[in-house]
Amino acid sequence: MTADRTSPRTSPHTPSDDDWLDAALAADAREHGSSYLDDRGFTARVMNALPAPVAVPRWRKPALVALWSAAALGTASALPGVALDVGREAFRLLAAQPVSLPQIAAVLAAIGVVTWSAAAWALRSD
Amino acid sequence: MASTPDSDAALIARAVVADDRHAFAELVRRHQSAVRACLRRLTAGHHALADDLAQETFVLAWRHLGSYRQEAKFSTWLYRIATNCWLADARKRKEELLGDATDNLAEASGTAFTADAAVPDHARGATMKLDLERALAVLSEGERAAIVQCYYHDLSHEEAAYVLGMPVGTVKTHVLRGKQKLKAALAAWAPRQDS
Repeated sequence: MTADRTSPRTSPHTPSDDDWLDAALAADAREHGSSYLDDRGFTARVMNALPAPVAVPRWRKPALVALWSAAALGTASALPGVALDVGREAFRLLAAQPVSLPQIAAVLAAIGVVTWSAAAWALRSD
Repeated sequence: MASTPDSDAALIARAVVADDRHAFAELVRRHQSAVRACLRRLTAGHHALADDLAQETFVLAWRHLGSYRQEAKFSTWLYRIATNCWLADARKRKEELLGDATDNLAEASGTAFTADAAVPDHARGATMKLDLERALAVLSEGERAAIVQCYYHDLSHEEAAYVLGMPVGTVKTHVLRGKQKLKAALAAWAPRQDS
């Protein structure tokens, strides 16, 4: 926010007429501003009134891992032929390509990075 | 060696990122006095109501801390929430608004407000303060809020406009009208013009 520091006290509203009122307001504001209100348990009351922290159940991660594992196993067992065919076809395609060892190594490295990053993200501590 | 206290920004970051309630408690401790004093002024001295609204202010601040963008000082942001809480509460209570308070103030200045001649010198300051508080209480919500932000918190018109969520021109109008009403109410305290 770009705040113009022009105080209302310096505003052009008939300054001579308002001098005594400005002085009265300024004096009251000074007194008002200099008096510190003791906490007297106010902060504790505020903290008690805050909404309770969201508690994540401890069983969340193992349950998620188990669920995804079951889903993956179920899919693999339900479609054994398809998975095998896809694997063979992919291997055949790759084998037919004129690839060099460094390219294979780069692909394997990329797969490793993606896999381990995903695992680290999934199992991170909140 | 004493450690340097964390800045507001650092405490806010800890509260937002790590859900650190101790950091937020420190922010409350730092700003509770100013926020409660602001609300006491806005509620015209109703201390219990002001403290309830201050508590509501900090709870709202906690809930919306993630949306604080540091476009204004943290205290100014808190004043904005506090003012909104007060306005919402005033509307809920259907507080008696004096759209044109001049007439009432004229009556009040003749009966309730103390004439300066009747007050001994040693009591003038306290009596003036009391009269000022009562005069502020009969301003409209917008006028009172504008006067409080501009004079008691020493905010510029632009900062007050941010706190009150209204255009700068409206703030200036509220300040002007509020001061006119205060002058009428506190006419007994005005210096006499010898002609």
